Amino acid sequence: MQGLTNGMTSHGGFEGDAVVSVASLSKKFPNGTLAVDNVSFDVPAGQVLGLLGLSGSGKSTLMRLINGLHQPTSGHVSVLGAVIDECSPSELRDARRNIGFVFQQFGLVGRMTCIENVLVGSLGRLRGPRLGVRMYPKALRVKALERLERVGLLAQAFQRADTLSGGQMQRVAIARSLMQEPKVLLADEPVASLDPESSVQVLDLISQIAREDGMTVICSLHQVELAVGRTDRLIGLRDGRVVLDKMTAGTDQESVMSLYRRSGTAEAEEARVAQLA
Amino acid sequence: MSNKTTTTHDAPSMRTTPPVSGRLVLQWVFFVGYLLVFLWSWNKLNMSVFSFFSDLGNVGNLFKRMYPPDFGDMGRIVEAMVETIWMALLGTVGAVILSYPLALAAAHNTTKSKALRALSRGVITLSRAVPEIILAAIFVAAFGPGPFSGILALALHSIGMIGRLFADAIETATEQPREAVISVGATKRQTTRSAILPQALPSMIATSLFRFEINLRGSAILGLVGAGGIGQIISESLETIQYRPALAAVLVLFVVILAIEIVSTSVRRSLIGEAANLQLSAQRYSFLKKMFQRRDARVNKAATAERRLSPPWTSERLFRTTMLASAIVLIVAAIVTVNVDWIRAITNFDQISIVLKQMLPPSFSGERSNVFTGLIESFAISVVATTLGVAIALPLGVAMARNINVRRWFSTFMRMFVLALRGIPELIIAVIFVSAMGLGAVPGTLALSVTVAVFAAKLFADTMEEVSPAPREAVVSVGATRPQEFISSVVPQFVSPFVAHFFYLLDVFFRSSTVLGIVGGGGIGFLLLQSIRVFEFQLTTMIVLGVYLIVLSIEWLGLGVRRLYR
Repeated sequence: MQGLTNGMTSHGGFEGDAVVSVASLSKKFPNGTLAVDNVSFDVPAGQVLGLLGLSGSGKSTLMRLINGLHQPTSGHVSVLGAVIDECSPSELRDARRNIGFVFQQFGLVGRMTCIENVLVGSLGRLRGPRLGVRMYPKALRVKALERLERVGLLAQAFQRADTLSGGQMQRVAIARSLMQEPKVLLADEPVASLDPESSVQVLDLISQIAREDGMTVICSLHQVELAVGRTDRLIGLRDGRVVLDKMTAGTDQESVMSLYRRSGTAEAEEARVAQLA
Repeated sequence: MSNKTTTTHDAPSMRTTPPVSGRLVLQWVFFVGYLLVFLWSWNKLNMSVFSFFSDLGNVGNLFKRMYPPDFGDMGRIVEAMVETIWMALLGTVGAVILSYPLALAAAHNTTKSKALRALSRGVITLSRAVPEIILAAIFVAAFGPGPFSGILALALHSIGMIGRLFADAIETATEQPREAVISVGATKRQTTRSAILPQALPSMIATSLFRFEINLRGSAILGLVGAGGIGQIISESLETIQYRPALAAVLVLFVVILAIEIVSTSVRRSLIGEAANLQLSAQRYSFLKKMFQRRDARVNKAATAERRLSPPWTSERLFRTTMLASAIVLIVAAIVTVNVDWIRAITNFDQISIVLKQMLPPSFSGERSNVFTGLIESFAISVVATTLGVAIALPLGVAMARNINVRRWFSTFMRMFVLALRGIPELIIAVIFVSAMGLGAVPGTLALSVTVAVFAAKLFADTMEEVSPAPREAVVSVGATRPQEFISSVVPQFVSPFVAHFFYLLDVFFRSSTVLGIVGGGGIGFLLLQSIRVFEFQLTTMIVLGVYLIVLSIEWLGLGVRRLYR
């Protein structure tokens, strides 16, 4: 895979084939929390990147910065050539069309059927608001059914989203992202509210789709064991800073786990991580 | 078909539209049925779209006759105003105390027994079926004129709304925390306190304060039947065609209601803890904001350092505690200073049984056909007024919802506008419309529509602000525009509460339509007040029974329809 060879690029600069480029990015919230602290990395096309860290380490904020749900305090994010933090509202909408986003809490409207939730994914390419399945063009409805089939939920197409299990809901949310035909998929803790079995199912689905479609994926997780084997590269965050950045191949779980250990001083911790990298 | 590029050939059986379910058919049947009822009511009342503008002109002319206001008797107005506030406050407190156990008994997640639930729901509904002004008239007959009759009337009547919304708040509490608390071996009371109440409390406090605001307008009217407060001054002035002093009293009432509403809203928001009103208002002054933030950061840090066992005194907690303390002080002040001899009131309480005996058995007293005509007219008024009002309220509510509008100042402005209109009690609006357009159901209906619109706009806006942000964010993240996001993620979430609200509004304003007749606005109200004035209490009971039956049918129908659109 291309991503495997291009994984370790120089930090900060805009690499030619980098699909997502994060440069000296910081985000400080009005309440004073520095959620993301001078983070830089490039993600080449087709790479599946696992973003690791404890809750509160800044993973979610980073993901939100990448698709413009938050505005950075300093630094820049560019996705597919568009500098997200400098986009006008309509440029931002254009950029988002190519970026799928999978949320921890799925973001489905419970009252709507699965197919309508999936169809919502095509709104970025449509003009005007839509309410009800019939308001979407037939071609898109057919496409939505195909996406549902791909995530294995064709039979549930006309079932209300709130009748599904958590794992099924997340698969509908993935189908919604696929409806965008995204080049980049951001998955923010996609399995944090799922049971272990569904978690494996959902992550396998994401990595399978990424491989088949050559999609660039950034997936934040807090379970290291889930990341190993499904990602090309791992980046670890702690207190908003990058403390680990290495290719997954050849990495053993134990060494990455040290990211989670809170024993010892911060310096010792960083030294250990540096050693690791 | 243009889908040839995307269709896979192995999917000929794929249907792209939802299958027609019985539920969908029923939803449409109900919708069309409602439209028919609306058209029938519209015809029944001889409403006409064409006369709207001349009607509005007439209303404008009347304002000219009322202007300028005459503030000659300011001392009396202020005294009456204070009495009105105390009546509203004590009436609400009484209703909250009575509603809490009723709501616990009415909610399915706190009470197992179906019979007990039905009984308490029945009591809650019954108390709402009797308009507060009618209750006040009856209590005045029992205890004589004065604020005690008003307080009692407000307390009993408010159970209808507070009890029901408390029960709803309890029922909408999520199950998991309750199950979690039960699983550690907690008793039923502990479960209610630890798992249900914390979830329901913000909504319950908001409901109580909201009802206090409504009761303030309600208590202003009670003077019409001799239960004290500023209504007495307004009604005396109106009856003697002294429009200018009447406007003076109305203006005082208006300003006071506005002021209290502003305070109440900020308290409501701070108690709900929705990022605190304090922070909102502080945002306008960045130095204040920084000051609060710096202080809070310091306090939080100190609390962590010294391992405090109680929450730190952040600005928000200080604010919240101050508000709670002031509420308690106000209630005590009301009890002490209101013009009620509490000991006499309690010892004379059995007076009510004498009147109650005169009320039974219910009898038509030879007015059978008048009762039926009046009730049908009231129902038609409420259907038309609710529909017209909701049609105006929907865009207003969207404009008022802070989470929908990018420009916060715009929603704040709309809120202030609606808030100002809400300050005028519905019967005062009705009096103005009747004076301008003459006696009849049309001015009554139009006046009620205005009340419905401002009442519902606030309800809709508050509900829209509670819409879950997760689906909205998801829709935004696919690159949708704001209108697309609104239609695809807010509207579907709004349907179910909207249906619930609609029936609630129909409920509330059918009750209102039954007292419009007191000021000549059509419906059963004229006959109702007449029956009390001539001591035909048996007829009063019969009419109240008729009203109760209709309210009960609306609620029963509402339960079914709510389930249909859930």
